[in-house]
Formats: sequence, structure tokens, C-alpha cells
Amino acid sequence: MSKLTDQGRARIGAALILMFGFCIFLARPVYSHHSFTAEFTAEKTATLVGTITQVWFRNPHVRYLITVTNENGEEESWDARGSPVVWLARKGWTKNSIKVGDTVSMYGFLGRDGRKMLSIMTVTLEDGSVLVDRVPE
Amino acid sequence: MIIQRSRILFTTILFLFSFSTLAAEADFEGRWMVSLTDQKRTLVGLLELERTEGGWSAHLEGGPARIAIDGDNIVLYADSRDVRGFVFDRKLTGTLKNDVISGMYVQEGAAAQKEAPGPWQARRETPVVSSSEEPRPVDISGMWTATQALDFRKYTMALTPAGEQWLENYLPYYDQPDVRCTSIGLPALATYSFPFEIIASENRYTMIYEYLSKVRRVWMDGREPTEFMPPSRMGHSNGRWEGSTLIIQTGLLDKTVRDFRGELISENARIEERYSLSDDGNTLTAIITVYDPDNYKRPPVRRRQWVRKEETEIFPYTCDPDSFYIPMYEDGEMDMYIERTDRRF
Repeated sequence: MSKLTDQGRARIGAALILMFGFCIFLARPVYSHHSFTAEFTAEKTATLVGTITQVWFRNPHVRYLITVTNENGEEESWDARGSPVVWLARKGWTKNSIKVGDTVSMYGFLGRDGRKMLSIMTVTLEDGSVLVDRVPE
Repeated sequence: MIIQRSRILFTTILFLFSFSTLAAEADFEGRWMVSLTDQKRTLVGLLELERTEGGWSAHLEGGPARIAIDGDNIVLYADSRDVRGFVFDRKLTGTLKNDVISGMYVQEGAAAQKEAPGPWQARRETPVVSSSEEPRPVDISGMWTATQALDFRKYTMALTPAGEQWLENYLPYYDQPDVRCTSIGLPALATYSFPFEIIASENRYTMIYEYLSKVRRVWMDGREPTEFMPPSRMGHSNGRWEGSTLIIQTGLLDKTVRDFRGELISENARIEERYSLSDDGNTLTAIITVYDPDNYKRPPVRRRQWVRKEETEIFPYTCDPDSFYIPMYEDGEMDMYIERTDRRF
């Protein structure tokens, strides 16, 4: 039985790394969004209570990243999406309404297939006031 | 003797019954205007019922609807999409009597916008004929705010094989022009819920749409586009008054998609819009039809209604595609996005 040379080992190592990389590539969901229609489910709603870590108050996607603590005590980051800026702004919901560091409670439709996403319906702020994201049809 | 009489009687009843059943079924055929009322609004749509080899086919606003007919009774399922993107059905159950179909409808499937069950009715369509009616222009200038009335927002359309093939590989979340802040153009812009302003000038109407801050001009002097005018998503629009209905024909269009679902609108498409004003001048109604035989077996129809609100302001619509690109980058989907370049224009 021949011993592997250093070069041989390096080759096997490279091949393993390549294979591992390939497996990761295969495992990666190719289309995790699919479509806006498929992004959220109308059948599941949830309330997230947590701290805002990022605010994107701009079109095309108003986004808030919110860190919540799950049932196992672990921190998770969720991507909460709102309506276009003009609809929110008309009702007094501006970029200053929710800021990084605020603790809020967000209620909305959950992301499909377990995605950590929320389509916002209401946000309750620390002072108890409620922002409503109800888009006209 | 008694048996023979019974037989004759039975045959006669059977004949009359079959005849009445056939007659009732045959009566469903044709073009109907459906109106449906829930607690808040009335929806209106064109329903086409046709006999096929296997039974019946139904189309609402140009899109296929599931149908079952049994004697005088009809059940229709028309899909729709609510504003959050959830697709649901409206189930219309009714009976044909005295050439009017009427019954109740219910919403089926999960939707963000809940509709209460309500009555519906269908009457034979009075065809809109192009007339040589003298122009009687009315004042449509002003600020217009969309209502929730009229539009069924029919979701699926009757696509040609080419149209189907396009849609099969389309991913609205990535491919829609407006997710990367590019104009979606017509017909979508004229049907979205954002307010718009109409400014009347001597030879044109200028429409300013809040959504994506887009502007279009409708020429009333019959002009053709100049030689080097490129096609665009707003195209070249000519308007004329037939009585007090403003009819706008648009061509010179650039490729785009019809709506959130992503059905293709080709460069050969022609769009007709018919605008009419209520007697009090405060409600504007549009019927928008897309003629694009490359992609649609039947022309898709949308309706929209707005109310005049001079106090409405058109807000600036600033759009920064970073909020689209960065999450995609974070999710490791950028390569896939680039590979899909041929799905975008």
C-alpha cells in the first residue's frame, strides 16, 4: 500500500474541499423568494417583540430588521416588510416613527416556508401608540 | 291501454323536461355584465359564457373562470389577488331566471382583505359600439384618488402558448421592473391604487402618476410619433372624445408585464382606455383593455374608479434599488439574479 505523498494529500484535500463546497452549493435554496405572492402566507400571522437593528424607510421595500429572542432563548433576526413609503407617510408614519434601538411589537403575516419574514399589519411602539399599515386596494 | 297512456305521458314529460333543460342551459351562452356587491363596494366585470365540447367555458374580464352549469343553476369560481399579494377565489352561485342570473357569492381561500358574502347579478351586455357621436368633452382635469370599487382584479388570464411559456419561468419578486425602481408602464400604472393628476392643455392631457413619479401625455390633436421616438413603457397615446367618453389608444410600447403576476405585454400591444365622468363631475371611471394577441387569447380587462379630491397631494416617490439588491446579496442570490437577465427589460 503506497503512502500518500504530500502532493497527493493536498489533492485529496482540495477535492474534499471542492466536494464540500459543491454540497453547500447544492444545499443552497436556488429560489428562496419565488415571488412576492409566495413570500408571505395569508394563513399564518404572528406578533414579534424585539429590538430594531436596521431601518430601511425607502421604496421599493420598507424594511425593518428586528432582533427577537426565540422559545429556546436564542436571538434571531427577522426581516419585516411594509408598504410603499407614500402610503405610510400619508398616515403620519415616517422614517422617524421607528428608530434603531426601539423596542416594538410587530403584528403581521408570516413568511412562507418558515422564512423569518413578516408582512407588517400593525406596529405597537414603546409608548403604546399603534401604527397601522393598511394599504388601499 | 293504461300502460300505453302512461308511456305517452312519461315520454311527453321527459321531452318537455329535456327541452326545458336544454333551453335553460342554452340561455347561459353569451356575454354578460356581472355586478357583485359586498358591504363596501360594487364590482363589475364582463363574463363570457360559451359552450364547449365537454360542457362550458367561462371568462371573466378576459381571464378563465371555473364553471359548472346544471339546468338553471350556475357555479363560477373567479380568482383574484388582494393588495398584499394573496390569491383567493370568489365563488358565485346563482340561478338563471327571465334572462337574469342572480345569486350569492362568497370569498374562498385565505386573503388579507376579508369580503363578506353578498349578492351578485348578471345581465346581458349592451355592446359598446364606436359611434360617430359628436365630441362633448367634459372637464377631467384635477386630482384623482382611487376607490376600491369596480375591479375584480382577475388574476389568471387566457394566455397563448407563448404567454404561458414566458410566465412559467417568471419570478415576479426578482423580475418585476418596479422592484428595481424601473417603470412598469402601462397598463399597470393606470390601474394601481396611487393617486394621479390630470392637467388639461390645448392639445393634450398630461397625467402625473404618484407611483414611481411617472408622467404621460395623451395627444388630442391626432399626431403621430416623430420618426425617431423610441418605444417606451408609456408608449404614444392619442385621445379622442366620443360623446363625453374619452377614448385613448396607445401604441409604440416597450415590452413590460401586465401586473404583479408577470404576464408579458409585447411591443406589438395596443391599449385602449375609456374614461367617463359622473354627472356631478366627481367620479372618474376607466375601462382598460389590452390587445396583445402574441400573449393573450382574449384581451385582459381592468376597471378603475377615482374620486375627485383637490386636497390630495401627489407625494414624491423616491425609489432606491438598494433595498432590493442588498437583501438579495445577503441571501446569496446575486448570481442567480444575474443569470436571469434575459427575464428583465
